[in-house]
Amino acid sequence: MSAPLVVVAKNSAEHKRWQYVQWAYVAGFVLLTPLVLQPFEIGKMNRALIMGVAILAVNLVVGFNGMLALGHSAFMGIGAFVTASLVQDENWDYWMIVPVVLIVGFLIGVVVGLPALRVKGLYLALVTIAQAAVFPSLVNIDELGIAARTGGPNGKGVSEEVIAPSYWEWLPGVDGARGGSAYRYWVIVLMVAITILLVTNYLRSRAGRAVLAIRDNEAGAAVYGVNLPIVKTMNFAISASIGSLAGLMWCMDKGFVAGQDFTFLLAVDLIIGLVLGGVGAIQGGLVGGLFVVWVNDLTKRISIPLGLYTLNGDGPLAKAIFGLILILFTFFAPGGIVSLGRIIVNKLIKVVPLTPAGQPIEPLSNFDPGMESTRADVAMKMSIAGPVLLAVGWLLMNVNNLLVGVLAFGLRMGILVLAPVAMLVGSNELAAHADGNRPDSAKGPATMARTLGALGFLFVIGYAVQRFVLTY
Amino acid sequence: MTWNFDILPDFIFNGLSLGAIYGTVALALVLIFKATTLINFATGELAMLGAFLVYVLHMEQGLWLWLSMLIAMALSAGLGILIERSLTRPFDPSDHLPVVLITLGLFLILNAVAGDIWNYQVRILSNPFGKFPSWVPSVGGDRFIEVFGSRLKYQSIGIWVTLALALFILGLILNKTKAGLAFRAVSSNVESARLVGVHTGRTLGFGWAIASAFGTLGAVLVAPQLGGVNPNMMATILIYALAGAALGGLDSLGGAVLGGILVGLIQAVLVTWGGVVVFGQLYMSILQLAAAFVIILITLLFRPSGLFGTRRVERV
Amino acid sequence: MVDDVFDEVGLKVENLHASYGAVEVLRGLDFEVPAKNVSVILGANGAGKTTTLRAICNMCNTSGTVTLGDRDISRTGTAEIVRQGMVHVPQGRGTFPELSTMDNLMVGAYTRKDNEIKDDVDRWFEIFPVLGERSSQMAGSLSGGEQQMLAVARALMARPRLLLLDEPSLGLAPLIIEDLFDRFITLNKETGLTMLIVEQNANLALDMADYAYVIESGEIALHGTSDQLKNDPAVQEAYLGA
Repeated sequence: MSAPLVVVAKNSAEHKRWQYVQWAYVAGFVLLTPLVLQPFEIGKMNRALIMGVAILAVNLVVGFNGMLALGHSAFMGIGAFVTASLVQDENWDYWMIVPVVLIVGFLIGVVVGLPALRVKGLYLALVTIAQAAVFPSLVNIDELGIAARTGGPNGKGVSEEVIAPSYWEWLPGVDGARGGSAYRYWVIVLMVAITILLVTNYLRSRAGRAVLAIRDNEAGAAVYGVNLPIVKTMNFAISASIGSLAGLMWCMDKGFVAGQDFTFLLAVDLIIGLVLGGVGAIQGGLVGGLFVVWVNDLTKRISIPLGLYTLNGDGPLAKAIFGLILILFTFFAPGGIVSLGRIIVNKLIKVVPLTPAGQPIEPLSNFDPGMESTRADVAMKMSIAGPVLLAVGWLLMNVNNLLVGVLAFGLRMGILVLAPVAMLVGSNELAAHADGNRPDSAKGPATMARTLGALGFLFVIGYAVQRFVLTY
Repeated sequence: MTWNFDILPDFIFNGLSLGAIYGTVALALVLIFKATTLINFATGELAMLGAFLVYVLHMEQGLWLWLSMLIAMALSAGLGILIERSLTRPFDPSDHLPVVLITLGLFLILNAVAGDIWNYQVRILSNPFGKFPSWVPSVGGDRFIEVFGSRLKYQSIGIWVTLALALFILGLILNKTKAGLAFRAVSSNVESARLVGVHTGRTLGFGWAIASAFGTLGAVLVAPQLGGVNPNMMATILIYALAGAALGGLDSLGGAVLGGILVGLIQAVLVTWGGVVVFGQLYMSILQLAAAFVIILITLLFRPSGLFGTRRVERV
Repeated sequence: MVDDVFDEVGLKVENLHASYGAVEVLRGLDFEVPAKNVSVILGANGAGKTTTLRAICNMCNTSGTVTLGDRDISRTGTAEIVRQGMVHVPQGRGTFPELSTMDNLMVGAYTRKDNEIKDDVDRWFEIFPVLGERSSQMAGSLSGGEQQMLAVARALMARPRLLLLDEPSLGLAPLIIEDLFDRFITLNKETGLTMLIVEQNANLALDMADYAYVIESGEIALHGTSDQLKNDPAVQEAYLGA
């Protein structure tokens, strides 16, 4: 497919329509998660979202400021233990702890960051790696009442469970068997959304622009009056406070924290999530968090069938896969999944910017007179492929094998993307044909793509609605 | 919490021998840092793999311990060259992130491979300095001699002599051979080295080789103190070695060794101060590991170039 | 006297392009450095003088043909070019500050396998006596002029047939510059070593050189024997301050 399937002018009605499709996917994903998944799966999703916030924090330093921070597991741990102690020992509410955790994380970030960021080089990496290695044992110190607060080697449980107040019970999924985890899911989603919003605004602010300038050209930024150590340290401290917030979410979700949860391996997981998702991309954190949790989970399930050594389900397989992922992505996809996704989307849809006068800077193919188009054919094939994949996936579901099951799930998900795209491209091509820009031969495939795509899309919506209704 | 001066010499001896091991691993870190300004986070796992090679050759195949060590060091050196050639050379060394990610990936893979083969269990590896050889006249006992009323273990003496010998050989290689000269030139100024005809890639590979061999030596020496070899054996050692390297100066080979020894001593003093007495055993107390972190922070705060660092550390 | 040490060689550059990222710095240079001669490249800041030397040595993104003697070296690696007999003394001298003067010279002979290296060291110590006095001192502790001599001596240790010098006068006091350039001329006269020198100090360079090129915005604007250029009114106005 050399030419993109769709060419639209920026901000045109058609462009908006495609953006709605994108947002519909996000909204559908967010809404369906608590409805479709089992409670323990929602728990994993929560964990992925929490990892996503922590990875976003790492990204702020690594991706947006160009410094190497490898020890955010410690900040998560600090946030988690502060939360556990305040909730359990002092009976605070979670929302009251949020500012405390942010401030504590920020201050510790300044203490750790300032010495390392005053000097050039890999010193931040050095300090943070030591910090990650040291943190789990710090929790066990008997002096200063630390172990009493943290529970020492036994960890600390929070007896108060997070339960939805009655006026929130209308949230999807909250009413019923999966109530607890679904409610926590919604709280976490809200916190993730607010965090992303704040971080996006921060990066657009004056301070944020200084942070980006340092990444792109440190000497240049200094010449323009950016105070390098201060801006770097502030950015690192903000990142640390977001990491601590992820720790608070961790404690709220799990109701139990232990030093063993916040080892150097968690820090490495965050780095892997960052690389997998995309260094320097806001969405990278969430994508990376999902994949890290998913791969961890998958390896636990397939280690024993593969005959690999495991201890309590944990084995070396996850580490090996993550190590390979790190190396392969560094070599072949340094932009992570987000950039791979962008490449695919760019093949699919091309957004043509406008001139100041409001005209597209290059002609849109929709209005190219007499253009030989294979788009209708491609769309028709997509509209057929969707239902076929769905059917094959359903058949494969009956094979009782984990890997086949994963494959079957993936195939069935295909219709989610294929049907709406086929529908939109089909109707677009029909409009172009009506304008006289397409040969008559394109009309048949385009009609078919539109019809079959619409049917598939209706099916997807119907399935979602059915799920929605079933849970209530 | 009181000072216990009677056992202080014991701990100083212990600290000096542990410190010598940290120094050896720190040397492995600094050899690569000096040439590339990169911290190789896989140093510890490469060393661990080397120690397991010794385990296989000596404990399983029955080869003479010292011969196994030499073979393992040579093999790790080869692995170091291979890694440099295949994984790090394609990247621009001035961009730190990719290469750090590569070494982190290596850290995970090597640990996982060792974990799958040897199952994260501690496996006993003979102590090269367990008992004095029979030709040494007995002074005090067959494992130690009495000094200042304290026991100076054969193990400590052995570690010091081995490290001194290794340092001497390293000095010869760096100062008397052409490859050593080229390595020092590349460390000093990569572009100029290229301009006089030095193949910088091969020279960096040479640095990786020596560093890996030194790491293996450190891992083999530390193994008896940890009760044997296991895939996670180097995790804490690496942190101490990082602290030692930072304290000594990340670009000073002598500084790395001295920094490592200093960290060992600080650790020993902390043990004495904390009143924790676990005689004859490497005891990773909580306070001690935190000390590694604090040492790095304090070094950066007051003397970012380290005690013996030569290169100007640029303030930003 | 020691003519036999250096072979006769010239450098020929055809259609040389070079770019940093998207910025094209050299836009098709053609020039020749005749054997046993001293040629200079003149030009203002940013004209592409340093890039020309870097491009010849394959240190940046280039296209075009570079011929050394009768050999095409356009695709030869930087380190390999030294073995072909061309050595580049970079701008800012590029000594190894943490190595002793002696070690700097020994690295210079890295590509050689013969056993006359010690003799060569003695010879360059004779020509640059100050280096002999400081042979065990760290190069970083030498003065600017001494470092420049060290850089040249180090380059000569490779027994080059052609020497590229990038602004050897940079940052040196006028008296030292004159002394240094006298030594270059002596070197060329005695050994027949071919030299290509990039220089901003046009007066000095034209006095010394046999042939000169003027670069403007990545292109050869003028060329000729140094006498021709000295009398060229445009050169006089732009570069000689007349």
